[in-house]
Amino acid sequence: MGYTTYASFGLPSFLVIIVALYLLFTDSGEAFDVGRFLEETSPFVWGSLGIGLCIGLSVLGAGWGIFLTGASILGGGVRTPRISTKNLISIIFCEVVAIYGVIMGIVYSSKLQTVPEAQLYTRDNYFTGYALFFGGLTVGFCNLLCGLCVGIAGSTAALADAADPTLFVKVLVVEVFGSVLGLFGLIIGLLMIGNAKEFLPGSPAVSAIRI
Amino acid sequence: MPAELCPPYAPFFGFAGVASAVTVGAAFGTAKAGIGIAGLGTFKPELIMKAMTPSKGYPLAAGFIHLGAGISCGMTGIAAGYAIGLVGDSCVRAYVHEQRVFVSMILILIFAEVLGLYG
Repeated sequence: MGYTTYASFGLPSFLVIIVALYLLFTDSGEAFDVGRFLEETSPFVWGSLGIGLCIGLSVLGAGWGIFLTGASILGGGVRTPRISTKNLISIIFCEVVAIYGVIMGIVYSSKLQTVPEAQLYTRDNYFTGYALFFGGLTVGFCNLLCGLCVGIAGSTAALADAADPTLFVKVLVVEVFGSVLGLFGLIIGLLMIGNAKEFLPGSPAVSAIRI
Repeated sequence: MPAELCPPYAPFFGFAGVASAVTVGAAFGTAKAGIGIAGLGTFKPELIMKAMTPSKGYPLAAGFIHLGAGISCGMTGIAAGYAIGLVGDSCVRAYVHEQRVFVSMILILIFAEVLGLYG
């Protein structure tokens, strides 16, 4: 077992066990309350985290894909300059992934309306907060993987094109299937947010119970 | 549905199930060259989303059930994607040497794809 295994698995699990046993043995076991944590964190936290993850992870995936493809195009273009213009389409596929993230960020941020603290904690607002968080996580993560996939496929397409021009279209088909992943993420993200209303102030009667 | 069975934080776990079904399956589907598996991994969320509307009562138990369903979907996506990726890689290498393995290659890939369908 290497030092990284100890650091990443051993130390955190040790700390978690120590904290859990401390709470248990000092009669404050009830302090660990997942439900209270979920009820007390503001829906704005969840919503903002979701939007940040959505755009951040999508752009990370797009950038990763672009540098993978670009390096191969430039490298192959030294010997075979004819590949450089045709293979820019792979870069465009990667860019589209970032645009999906931007679109979803804009759609999600329309749900964040100003609501005073006293009227914030309603059932509908909790629902919207959770939907924004997990929707953003889903879209961002799917776009990250899509960008990576399209980048690797595009890099292969560039090098295959440099070797044999007839192969370009065949590898491009693989790339198109890869870019469909980002579209899946977009569709699921829209579905998740479909039932969620934007943040609305609630009357005190409908507010959920807060300790 | 009595109010104490439907706490307001129940949708958190339902959404976690949806997200894990999509992302975990997509992760290994992509990594191991199974685009079909990544697609299969994303079909579950529609069913969960129909159950979660803010006005109807959404029991906490249903939230945990959807979380489990989503995780199981995603994990079977990992298994299928991994299988297809490894099999596909070795199949392609074998096909270079021996043309006749094509039919058995397709059969093996179909069986591996079914793993995702089980999820």
